[in-house]
Amino acid sequence: MTVTTRFGTFEADERDVVDMATPLAGFESCRRYLLLSAPNLAPFACLHGLDDPAPSFLVLDPRFVDAGYPCELDAGEYERVGASPDEALLWLGIVTVDSHGATINLRAPVAINPKRMIGVQSIPPNSVYRIDHPLPVR
Amino acid sequence: MLVITRKRDQAIVIGEGIEIRILRVGRDGVRVGITAPPAVPVHRKEIYDQIRSANASAAGSDAASVEQLIARLRDVP
Repeated sequence: MTVTTRFGTFEADERDVVDMATPLAGFESCRRYLLLSAPNLAPFACLHGLDDPAPSFLVLDPRFVDAGYPCELDAGEYERVGASPDEALLWLGIVTVDSHGATINLRAPVAINPKRMIGVQSIPPNSVYRIDHPLPVR
Repeated sequence: MLVITRKRDQAIVIGEGIEIRILRVGRDGVRVGITAPPAVPVHRKEIYDQIRSANASAAGSDAASVEQLIARLRDVP
């Protein structure tokens, strides 16, 4: 099927559907998203909500801006996504674009288990990372 | 709102498997220990509110600027 979002038009199928075990803060009623990518949007991807109010987010792997970013969940979060700590997950920082530029939320990343397509927005109790880390543009 | 008084080392049980225990009472703050099942995320409210606000801003991102942003990002060595 073809999906049209604010960030473009994508080809998608049911394998692209992510169930959020811990939904995005403020969007608790939206549990299902499509994870969409396209060459013209790279390195970004689009996390497109399927349930009301169907928010659409621009996302980027946090390691794109910080190669040393610690891609780790706590034990409860690993349980929720159905993965063990040694399994590779998809990591997405949520990007905000406005007239001042663009920032990425490194404080509360989204992690998705690609085998089961279950995700969480992780909000660790303590973090040195910024909610509004500037994207490296010139 | 239910209002109850607790002393140090006393606890409150909420539903199944959630316990909030008073560990220390100081002049400026109260230290609490929270036990909850893995399916129940626990957050400081002000942090949660910041994340909620950031998510709302991100959902309202200016999509028209994205093409230009990608070009500028690819330009960075």
